Amino acid sequence: MTRALRIIASNPMSLAGLLLVLLIVAAAIFAPWVAPFPTHNTAVIDFAYANQGPSARNWMGTDLVGRDIFSRILYAYRISLGLGIVVLIIAAPVGTVVGLLAGYLGGWTESVLMRLVDVFLSIPPLVLAIAVLGVLEPTLTNAMIAVTVMWWPWYARLVYSIARSEREEGYVLAAEVIGAPTAHIAFREVLPNCLPAIITKMTLDMGFVIIIASSLSFLGLGVQPPTPDLGSMVAEGARYLPDSWWMTVFPGLAILLAVFGFNLLGDGLREVLGVDE
Amino acid sequence: MSSVLRILLRRLGISVIVLIGVSMLIFAIARIIPGDPARIALGPNATAEQVVMIRTEMHLDEPIVAQYGHFVADVLRGDLGTSLYTNRPVTTDIAEFLPATLELVIFAGILMVGFGLPLGILAARHRGRWPDHVVRVLTLLTVSAPSFVWAVILMLLFAFYLPLFPVAGRLDSAYDITRVTGFLTVDTLIAGNFGAFLDALHHLVLPAVALALSGIGQAARLTRANMVETYDKPYIEMAEAYGFFPSRIARRYAFKPSLIPSLTIIGLDFAAMLGNAFLVEAVFAWPGLSRYGVAVILRKDLNAIMGTVLIIALTFLVVNIIVDLLIAFLNTRIRHSTRGAT
Amino acid sequence: MSALLDIRDLRLGFKGLRGITEVLHGIDLAIAAGERVALVGESGSGKSVTARIILGLLQEARAARVSGAVEFDGRDISTMPARQRAKLRGTEMSMIFQDPTSSLNPTFTIGRQFAEVMRRRQPEMSREACDRRASEMLAEVSIPDPARVLSAYPFQLSGGMNQRVMIAMALVNHPKLLLADEPGTALDVSVQALTLRLMHDLVERHGTAVLFISHNLGVVREFADRVYVIYRGRIVEEGPTRALFDNPGHAYTRALMSAVPRITGAGLPEVPEVSDDFLAPMVRHTGGAA
Repeated sequence: MTRALRIIASNPMSLAGLLLVLLIVAAAIFAPWVAPFPTHNTAVIDFAYANQGPSARNWMGTDLVGRDIFSRILYAYRISLGLGIVVLIIAAPVGTVVGLLAGYLGGWTESVLMRLVDVFLSIPPLVLAIAVLGVLEPTLTNAMIAVTVMWWPWYARLVYSIARSEREEGYVLAAEVIGAPTAHIAFREVLPNCLPAIITKMTLDMGFVIIIASSLSFLGLGVQPPTPDLGSMVAEGARYLPDSWWMTVFPGLAILLAVFGFNLLGDGLREVLGVDE
Repeated sequence: MSSVLRILLRRLGISVIVLIGVSMLIFAIARIIPGDPARIALGPNATAEQVVMIRTEMHLDEPIVAQYGHFVADVLRGDLGTSLYTNRPVTTDIAEFLPATLELVIFAGILMVGFGLPLGILAARHRGRWPDHVVRVLTLLTVSAPSFVWAVILMLLFAFYLPLFPVAGRLDSAYDITRVTGFLTVDTLIAGNFGAFLDALHHLVLPAVALALSGIGQAARLTRANMVETYDKPYIEMAEAYGFFPSRIARRYAFKPSLIPSLTIIGLDFAAMLGNAFLVEAVFAWPGLSRYGVAVILRKDLNAIMGTVLIIALTFLVVNIIVDLLIAFLNTRIRHSTRGAT
Repeated sequence: MSALLDIRDLRLGFKGLRGITEVLHGIDLAIAAGERVALVGESGSGKSVTARIILGLLQEARAARVSGAVEFDGRDISTMPARQRAKLRGTEMSMIFQDPTSSLNPTFTIGRQFAEVMRRRQPEMSREACDRRASEMLAEVSIPDPARVLSAYPFQLSGGMNQRVMIAMALVNHPKLLLADEPGTALDVSVQALTLRLMHDLVERHGTAVLFISHNLGVVREFADRVYVIYRGRIVEEGPTRALFDNPGHAYTRALMSAVPRITGAGLPEVPEVSDDFLAPMVRHTGGAA
């Protein structure tokens, strides 16, 4: 662990990624304490300060009803990160189990499971999520469900390809020869060899989940107002371009910053853990 | 050629299975809808009589398997039902809006390949040096924001602050072009109106760039990664030992062998643009499938939702088949002569 | 007699995390025009990097620090601009690599690769002319059906076939110097012996000077006029092949000879142990060509 940290710290880009991620996670956790206007995550109205550009009072300006954009961005990070964590905590294990079973067991199980994965992968990811949300009510929970539904097959495919090549390795054959139970071989022997790739993918995917989730709320299919969300903030502000540019630009940059951080960190992890691109 | 044909048939076979799966998935999504589809179709003020009638009409009173059967039969007949939103057949709606989306996606795809591959080649050729670092940071930035953020930023910079490009739409209203293919860049040429053609291109630039940016980043990163691996191969050293120019070595010796593994992923990225087009179209008021899609989703217009998703999945499959065939073709150009030689 | 290649006090260091690691500690080596010289040593002794310095490849690597004089045909390569060096490669000097099949570009036909090489010398040469010339060269390395080989891709040919192709390609521009880095080590023994004999005849006919790099003294004996033995970045013994084999003067040479079977054998010879005698001063056999 300390070795991994040292390697990440020795590369300026990975280090920047780690610091960015820590900064954003801290901002999300401590939002109620560090936000200049901690009540602005609700339907507060303060017309006296409505639609104002960046100033000493409101670093990133205010929205149409006078809420502080900076405070709302901090709260929106809570939603984005929370959603990302929930989605990955469900999607990664589900996909891993499917991929592991298909890759290690082979035969019948392999054909059925991987065809199923193919089906999910043959609808563009965003469109699948949009379709699921289209028939459910647009809420945070349903957005999580929609994104999870489109996400697990990617883990299945990743783990499947590793498990399939590991199946032929000597240590697996040896375990089979001594009669180890199938579940033991799959989860105790094969799975650990998939972990570096899974961890790297989860880091990179935090960024992608943030992109997809904000895309859904940009289309009005995700988190509903007054809860602050980066995607819906951009959408709302886009109607008042170019005059009230701060309403879109700052939430947009907030997405960029967070995803960039996770990507830098993920790239660094890939090197540390020796995962192929 | 026979092996390309064999791959085509195999690929089509898998595609049929996948399409059946997709139809089941779409059908399932449509049936997990909370509440009675008939009621949603009719709105809150419908009478019980109307509900019974529409239930029969939508086959909702039959077992689920039979319902799926009707759905498939209708789709095969090219009947995707009627949209509750526009009151027209869904196929008519799609035929109207799909070409605008495809035109946008195809142009973005050209940008993705046209800029992504050269950037990747540049980075790989100077791996470990400053052009590599610059390309790495830039491409990581472009993949780090959703396309709607790029769309907003590009619009602000190049349509408002520097009014170089139009803010929205596909064509200036001063032009009146007869619709033939639905692709305005093609239709304007068919009409022989070159000014309108340039105007259509002019309108395409910002949306296409916004849509392509993350794809450019992904293509460049992938090309670089594959090429850096190829640069360690002995035939690169041999090419250096024979004094070929570094630019020639990059293109002919390092890039060409790494192209084939890159193509599959580039095809996937290209197809993913079909989804991201929804976002870009929203920003630039591009009259494509997205506005329709979002509108029908917000209205819970089941037939239209299912039809739209089905068409997009179909387009996605076709793109993937084309990419697979391209790879097979590139491979066979090599393998073909094998049989002649040995 | 003026040498075609004259290396004096060649030093090479690599810049690493902990300063510069020196790999070559001052090498002197000379090859006369048309002379066949072998450079023999274990892997890691510095023989391959020497070849890459002669080609001017290592001078362009950022981590490498090269000093000393490398004179080729009267001009100092190490002080030449990179472009000038690149001009010599593939025309005045060329190289043959260890693994023929993976050293040829898998996406080009043999004919196309020949054309690429020939156009280094004559950029305007037509493809037909290239093919005609390539066929002649392939016939010289005893390839029976040149037309078929020219239209084939490297992976469609056997390793031995590719080896001959590479020899023909290396000589097609009539270079003055051929560098052969462990040629054919990746091939099986009988094929290797055959291709070496072929190469021997060919360079003799063309009057090409050769620097033959090998870890295998047995192979070298058949091929070279003169031998340099290199150990840990230093030349430890030099002399005409005959004299050196009859009367090896340096402890390391003797160890190397006793470790290697006299027949053309494959596989790495392992010098059994490291002895302080290996660091003894250089032995030079007089009466040699240089």
